[in-house]
Amino acid sequence: MSPCGGIRLSSGESDPRAPASALAWLKDRVGWDALAHLAAKKEVPIHRYTIFYYLGGMALFLFLVQVATGILLLLYYRPSASEAFESVQYIMAEVPFGWLIRSIHSWGANIFVGVVILHMVSVFFLKAYRAPRELTWITGAALLFLALGFGFSGYLLPWNTLAFFATKVGTDVPAQLPGFGPLISRILRGGSDVTGATLSRFYGIHVAILPALTTLLLGVHLVLVQQKGMSVPPSVLRQKPRAMKFVPEFLLRDMVGWLVAVALLAGLAAFQPWELGVKADPFAPAPAGIRPEWYFLSMFQLLKYLPSEIAGVPGELIGVLFFGALAAVLVFVPLLDRKASLGRPSPWWNRFAAVALAGALVLMFLALRLVPGATP
Amino acid sequence: MSRIVLALATLLGAASTGLSAPAPPPTPPPTAARAPAAIGCVDCHLALDDARVSPPARAFADDIHARSGFTCANCHGGDPRTEDMDLAHDPKKGFRGKPSPKDIPALCGKCHADAALMKQFNPSERVDQLAEYLTSGHGKALAHGDEAVATCISCHGAHGILPVKDSRSPVFPTRIAQTCNRCHGDPKLMAAHELPSDVYAKYSKSVHFAALNRKGDLSSPTCNSCHGNHGAAPPQVGSVANVCGTCHAVFAEQFKASPHQPAFADMGLPGCVTCHENHEIVQPSDAFLSTGKEGKCGACHEAGTEGARAAAAMYADILALKKETEAAKIALKREAEAGMLVAAAQFDLSRADEALTRARADVHLFQPYAVQQTVAGGLAIARTARARAARLQRERDFRRKGLLLSLALIGLSIAALIAKIRDLSRNRHS
Amino acid sequence: MDALEDGSTRRRWLTYLLGTSLGASAISFLYPVLKYLVPPATSEPSLSEIELDVKASDIPANSGRIVPFAGKPVVLFRTAAGELKALTATCTHLACTVQYRPDRSDIWCACHNGIYDANGTNVSGPPPRPLARLDVAVRGDKVVIRRV
Repeated sequence: MSPCGGIRLSSGESDPRAPASALAWLKDRVGWDALAHLAAKKEVPIHRYTIFYYLGGMALFLFLVQVATGILLLLYYRPSASEAFESVQYIMAEVPFGWLIRSIHSWGANIFVGVVILHMVSVFFLKAYRAPRELTWITGAALLFLALGFGFSGYLLPWNTLAFFATKVGTDVPAQLPGFGPLISRILRGGSDVTGATLSRFYGIHVAILPALTTLLLGVHLVLVQQKGMSVPPSVLRQKPRAMKFVPEFLLRDMVGWLVAVALLAGLAAFQPWELGVKADPFAPAPAGIRPEWYFLSMFQLLKYLPSEIAGVPGELIGVLFFGALAAVLVFVPLLDRKASLGRPSPWWNRFAAVALAGALVLMFLALRLVPGATP
Repeated sequence: MSRIVLALATLLGAASTGLSAPAPPPTPPPTAARAPAAIGCVDCHLALDDARVSPPARAFADDIHARSGFTCANCHGGDPRTEDMDLAHDPKKGFRGKPSPKDIPALCGKCHADAALMKQFNPSERVDQLAEYLTSGHGKALAHGDEAVATCISCHGAHGILPVKDSRSPVFPTRIAQTCNRCHGDPKLMAAHELPSDVYAKYSKSVHFAALNRKGDLSSPTCNSCHGNHGAAPPQVGSVANVCGTCHAVFAEQFKASPHQPAFADMGLPGCVTCHENHEIVQPSDAFLSTGKEGKCGACHEAGTEGARAAAAMYADILALKKETEAAKIALKREAEAGMLVAAAQFDLSRADEALTRARADVHLFQPYAVQQTVAGGLAIARTARARAARLQRERDFRRKGLLLSLALIGLSIAALIAKIRDLSRNRHS
Repeated sequence: MDALEDGSTRRRWLTYLLGTSLGASAISFLYPVLKYLVPPATSEPSLSEIELDVKASDIPANSGRIVPFAGKPVVLFRTAAGELKALTATCTHLACTVQYRPDRSDIWCACHNGIYDANGTNVSGPPPRPLARLDVAVRGDKVVIRRV
């Protein structure tokens, strides 16, 4: 044994008494080399649709931004009806850079949902849901619903007039379903009406339940993505495209996108700070122009057009059942679209999706035009 | 039918007994110890179903006197316990039929001016109504033989008398003006007394009417608040300011300390109403001080005189405060819309509104210096608020500058990234 | 210097630039976050309870003052008997700010001579409704006002 202790050992075996460096010790304990090997192998195909590959990573990045700003916000936020509004006001006015954190969180939420939707739309049209990636799609659809849940529950937390009444309208929707509907509504609201109990519940949903579910599903989703690799659309597959390494080529390009997103969020926070509005007064009448956030607007508008009764069934119930059916189709698309699994084009699915998207967009713009936004 | 025959027979019988017996004392009022006598009058009068004698009987059921155990006989005399009309209407039993207007005050005063009696029913009830009435315009005219004036029953009703606190009573605060208007709105009747008949029309345009009838503020004045209840007479010229001053105390004190008070007294002009009217008291505006259509000062103070200059100075000061406060409010609102929080600044600015209210009160001192002082205080507050709005704007700009710095660093990073990416791809290809 | 050396110099320079700019950006993100974590001097965000800057010992018996509470004025006063009370200071008549009158131990509105007693009840003049009561507590020496 050398008196100096500098024995050269084979890799995988390090002398605990004399590590080559702290970093090397850490890498060894964590199993870094195996992970680095996997990462080095990951490749991203280069073709005309490569740009859509960035959307998944962007969604993930924006989610992490939400988690970080959300954690910072909950250091000052108070989830009770008598203090919620004032605590958000306090964050905006007194806490140093509170205005920045809060505006980034509010703007970030909307941009995050937008990117998730774009990601899903691009995956759909690129047929990335076909075998063997069906489960990736299904977990992804569930993640979309979780994102919408984050948006809906978070919207109430500042406890301003607009949020209060939008939540009232929103939690009325499940009550339309026969049987368990009213019970679901009651469970959501923590009572028969939207009150401080609803706020506590939505807070718990927003910072505990949904994050736990998201962590689980996101974990599964990401593992599946790594296992199966990047999907290539059938039309491009035939051309056998080149590939670039994920690390560092794709990752560096990802980072460009992430930095642009950060710049955008900071700019919005400084030039278009998110409004605070007026504290909710449950006894005041609902102001004109109550509407939910943009990602719920198409459903909101469609429900308005339904007549109060269709063949003896309440119109709203028909609407809710219709959305439920659409959601089910969305989740099970990979299992329903047999052609795509076989690598063949499925134009009817594309047309169906295009019509649904166009309809949703039209409804959304109608809602924006016809329902003047009330002052929050 | 048989009742009428019986009545006629009784009448004949009564007539034969002669009417020379002395009038017995009037039916004593009931006390708590004695049960009220049977109301024979009401039964008969109701059954007769006559347009003249039945309505009083119907109305009496609601009357407060009925609730206290009084009967028709307590005012009209006669015997309420018999069904025989002659016996019931017997003048020997004190029956006097329908009293004439000139007898009414004394009739009501028989009980209502008797302190010992009223104490049995309502110890805190006043007993000086009759004495007051005799000092009133109505009372004096009645004493001179004019029967076309108000007596007790003109305002309180005769048979369905409700307490003043009952909102259905014609003398409940919200209904007094209409009750007075029954006579005071009759041009022919008023012409005979040389009084105007448009008073109600004017009063209904006033802020006091709006406060009383629309906002439900029962402390707002109506006819009796300024003219008196039972001693109703218009306030004398020298006492108008006192009357208004019972509520508008601050303004009355200021007016008394002002040069207008001796001047008005000399000229025989009443305080307050010279500018504010007596019945058509509308919401005053700052334009009262101006030289325009709404201006009041020009009626006495010709242009160029010291008075006109004083008015112009006060008007200018008040307008300046209004303008500065408005500008501060707009500046703060702008900052609020840009996302800055302005609650504390707005709270402090509300004191400028108070200064404006006080300045408008100080106008009644008719000394420009006083208004100027108050306005100066308000201007200081408004200017401070504007300074705070400016500070908030600077903070907003600082945030944007900080942002630009971050953006610059991000831009630099992006440029470095892109250069690195290019370099890598060059390497791969070479 | 041949192309290869040029390349490696450039690469080093690029990596250095990338590292520095990313590092500086990271600091510009971290700075606000770290400042955010430090709680500000005014500690009370809640407007249902506010700790005032006034010390209880600064209010002698039979005196009062106006303090802000949730953006509205409140009259904080100590009765002759020594009890601390607080009432909303917005007169229920036409919204002027009332004041405590030591010579009469009542609350007075200077605008139209409205008078309230120490419980806030409107006793004289135009005010149609009483003043709302607020809860007063003393924490240490600081006065805390709460909505009832």
